[in-house]
Amino acid sequence: MKLGISLFGVLAMCTAQAAWADVPASAALRDGFIAGKLDWSAVEARAKEEGKVNLYYWGGDDTLNVWMDSVVAPAMAAQGIKLNPVRVTATKDAVDLVLAEKNSGKGVGEGSVDLIWVNGDNFATLKQQGALYGGFAQRLPNAKNLEWDPSDQRALLNLRDFGVETNGTEMPWSGEEYNCSVNSKRVADADIPHDFDALKAYLEKHPGKFTYVKPPHYIGNTFVEEAIYAHNPDGTGAAPFQQSLSEIKPEELARLIAPGLEYLKSLEPLLLNGASGSPNYPEDNKAIDGLFLNGEIDFNCKFGLYGVAKGLSTGTYPEGAKQFVFPKNTMIKNKNYLVIPSNAPDGAAAMVLANWMSSVESQASKLKEVGMPSGIDSWKLNKTDADLIASSSPGLVGVTQDEMDANAAPDTNATLVNVIKATWLEYIERHNPAPIAQIVAEAYKTAK
Amino acid sequence: MARREDIALTSRLSPFQRIYLLLIAGFIVGPFLPLIIQSLAFRWAWPDLMPGTWWMQQRGKSAIPLAWDYVLSPYSHIWEAAINTVAIGTTVTAICLVICLPAARVLARERFRGKGAFEFFLSLPLIVPEAAIGMALLMIFIRLGLAGSFFGIVIAHLIPTIPYMVRMLTAVYQGLGKDFEEQAMILGARPMQILFRVTLPMLLPGVVAGALFTFLVSTNIFLLTFFLGQGKIITLPTLLFAKISGGTLDASAAGITLVVTLPGIVLLLITERFIKEEAFGKGFGN
Amino acid sequence: MTPATKTHPLTRRERRARILLFAQFVPIFAVLVILFGGALVMAVLQSLGFAPWFGVNTFPTLDYFAALWGSATFWTSLGLTLYYATVSTFLALVLGTLLALALVKTFRGKTFYKYLYKLPLMIPYTVGIALAVIMLGNGGMLSRLAAFFGVIDDPGQFLQILKTHYGWGIIAVYIWKQTPFITLAVYAVLLGIGRETEEAAAILGAGRRTIFFRVTLPQILPGIVSSTLICFAFNIGAFEAPFILGGGFPDTLPVVAWRYFNDSDYTLQLRGMATVVSIGIVSGVILFAYLAVYRTFERRMGRN
Repeated sequence: MKLGISLFGVLAMCTAQAAWADVPASAALRDGFIAGKLDWSAVEARAKEEGKVNLYYWGGDDTLNVWMDSVVAPAMAAQGIKLNPVRVTATKDAVDLVLAEKNSGKGVGEGSVDLIWVNGDNFATLKQQGALYGGFAQRLPNAKNLEWDPSDQRALLNLRDFGVETNGTEMPWSGEEYNCSVNSKRVADADIPHDFDALKAYLEKHPGKFTYVKPPHYIGNTFVEEAIYAHNPDGTGAAPFQQSLSEIKPEELARLIAPGLEYLKSLEPLLLNGASGSPNYPEDNKAIDGLFLNGEIDFNCKFGLYGVAKGLSTGTYPEGAKQFVFPKNTMIKNKNYLVIPSNAPDGAAAMVLANWMSSVESQASKLKEVGMPSGIDSWKLNKTDADLIASSSPGLVGVTQDEMDANAAPDTNATLVNVIKATWLEYIERHNPAPIAQIVAEAYKTAK
Repeated sequence: MARREDIALTSRLSPFQRIYLLLIAGFIVGPFLPLIIQSLAFRWAWPDLMPGTWWMQQRGKSAIPLAWDYVLSPYSHIWEAAINTVAIGTTVTAICLVICLPAARVLARERFRGKGAFEFFLSLPLIVPEAAIGMALLMIFIRLGLAGSFFGIVIAHLIPTIPYMVRMLTAVYQGLGKDFEEQAMILGARPMQILFRVTLPMLLPGVVAGALFTFLVSTNIFLLTFFLGQGKIITLPTLLFAKISGGTLDASAAGITLVVTLPGIVLLLITERFIKEEAFGKGFGN
Repeated sequence: MTPATKTHPLTRRERRARILLFAQFVPIFAVLVILFGGALVMAVLQSLGFAPWFGVNTFPTLDYFAALWGSATFWTSLGLTLYYATVSTFLALVLGTLLALALVKTFRGKTFYKYLYKLPLMIPYTVGIALAVIMLGNGGMLSRLAAFFGVIDDPGQFLQILKTHYGWGIIAVYIWKQTPFITLAVYAVLLGIGRETEEAAAILGAGRRTIFFRVTLPQILPGIVSSTLICFAFNIGAFEAPFILGGGFPDTLPVVAWRYFNDSDYTLQLRGMATVVSIGIVSGVILFAYLAVYRTFERRMGRN
């Protein structure tokens, strides 16, 4: 009985919440700021009123967790905002929460997520579901640290997220490039593969000593995309994969990705535990790091420009670990972002946080403490600031920045990523015997 | 088949049983040894039987807190998780007691039509898979705004705890009989007086046992908290899950595992005093 | 309530007493019906196509079940789920009963042992999983010991215990956690029944095995049945151990359901709900069958 009453009370509270949240003020500030009618000081004043900001981010990295609590939280507190960092096990959990709240009718100012660390398909989902706050990014004071001029090719990473136009709805936060590392105590330099054929040749000699993170985890998707680029039958690499789902026909996509997937299929018996018929694909980057540390695999491919430097300093990488160029010319380079969802309860505070995150001070600190690459563009900075960023970097181990730049390739369009990962799951994991064209056609149906 | 009865009924252990007890003890606590070592390691790679580098050797050199420094720092959120776990467990136990006491009293003393069916209904939550309850509740809780809230977790925890509590309390009431309350009534005590002066004191040991057991069950729940907490409410089991979900264990994960074990050891020391094996037997057995 | 009062119309006082009696059930009934019953009803409704908040409302349709049951992998997953649940429950039962039989004996250090064996009961499954990772993985302690003794020279050569289908890792965690549970249930009953009947049987010339199967087992059977019921149901619905230690696709059913829920295609959530309901149905059918067999057995025992 008592519980019934309290249940009823909670229900009443939930419906009353709409009345508490200052919906008109939230919406007015957002619209006014984005339209250029309100200036930054109005946002800062409103942020102080809101007094808190709920940041949702993948919480699997201890160093990042420490940095959030020990650097970001005090910086926000100095601006009168309490940072509430929510560590999620997968970014999708935060996206799901936003969409679930949106679907139950919670609009501007009424949700529970203010800012999400995001990129790729998660952003595409938010955009597709109309769950974005608005084009705030280029209006932030620290937008000056980034290149926004569309005529400059380098601005593409700020304007598009996995090929999907952001329209300023998310602020770039970190830049990344996919790369692999090797334990030089176990593998001689001459044996290190630099393309997919060499990898296969190596594994034929040393079966089971490699695996990659399992799609649909983004680290796994990226490995699959690189294999697809490298096996592009037209030899055009990443180029055709910049189109969106509506621009490319299923038969054409199937033709383009088939050789890459065939390659991955032929690799299966050579992967970790692949001899048993059921290869072991690790679930995330921590899992693959563990396999690498114990020498269960010889090469560790993932995002993490400074992963080796960081892994050596935290004991998660074996001594003798170093990076190497793999696969030549198709190492995917991208950025990740901070996005504000449409129902953010503290939109102004979220903008203040996103702005602070793209400051030189914060980026330098993040580089130094967390080893996460800078997300701002160094050519937009003055010399002192650019030097500070450069000197804060933990450094590459075994490769040069020039090599990394020379072999970089763009990400696959987010709408295609969904089809590619669905195809991988069907064709490789589930051993679907259907032709790839048919699997792709099926994936198109669910993607739309 | 006339064997030597003296062996069949001796109260001493057979040699097999002696070895068996040792093996089981090793199986239960043995793995904690490498766990402790791992929690003190900086780098411990295959095939080393001892860490190549210890945490203490690296302690000053690293920019971020490592191993136990991380586990015991506020950054690990372990205190938050511990406090949540205890707070949820206590609240669940209190609500559970209030709900179950009256029902247990009736179940122990009265006979009525459909009693068997009702008792079966009460134990249903134990045999419906937790995954089913959790996912179904999540949908409802999101609609009601209860997902990710303390209160939401508490009421979800009631589902698997009520069956245990009601069974244990019913056993307690059955053990007490009915006469003493009647005698108190005859002597002129009012219902409230009977409750506080007579019934509760006599029930207390059994209630403490039931409460401890409920608390224990609640602190061990992972799935419901994981699904319904949405990362906003973390408890010791969910915190540990997030650390080990990739299937590898670094020093801080090992440290957190050990901290998550601690409340269990404390509870073990307390429950051995309060819950006699017979009470458990009444809870699950007949 | 004597039969006499039932036939007569109830007096006002009796009626009041009755209402009072059932009023005491209201809280427990309300909680279980609203929460537990509500969850079950919602799960069934959704699995039948009722989800207006995703813009899906094809209620009632069996499409989601058809799609699920029509795929061969569902049956593989079901087999895997049942395999883990059955094998580990059975092993925990055997190990637990043996342990309980040893515990009724007197031995030195018994007080301490009674603390020790209950430890897994007190701590979450996730701790057991962490222990399995550190002991049983290819980079784990057993593999390192094998390397130390020169049996293997690469972690890949060690037995695949974790991250594989039908592996012993998941079973080891369940057994580790549930053996004490079954031991406790059996031991409690053993303490309760005392040793008189066993002694009587021994005097009549029964052997050790005969005493166990004819005298002891029937008495501890109710404890065994109820504790194995609980363990089996838990194992069928368990998520964390198969998720972390399992071999990936095809996963056990709770993990399959979770993956559907986490798919970027939101309409798959309904198939996830159908998976969840399927788990409920399967576990329900098995447990009822188990109970029915046990009841029949008991009745026969009673007649004898």
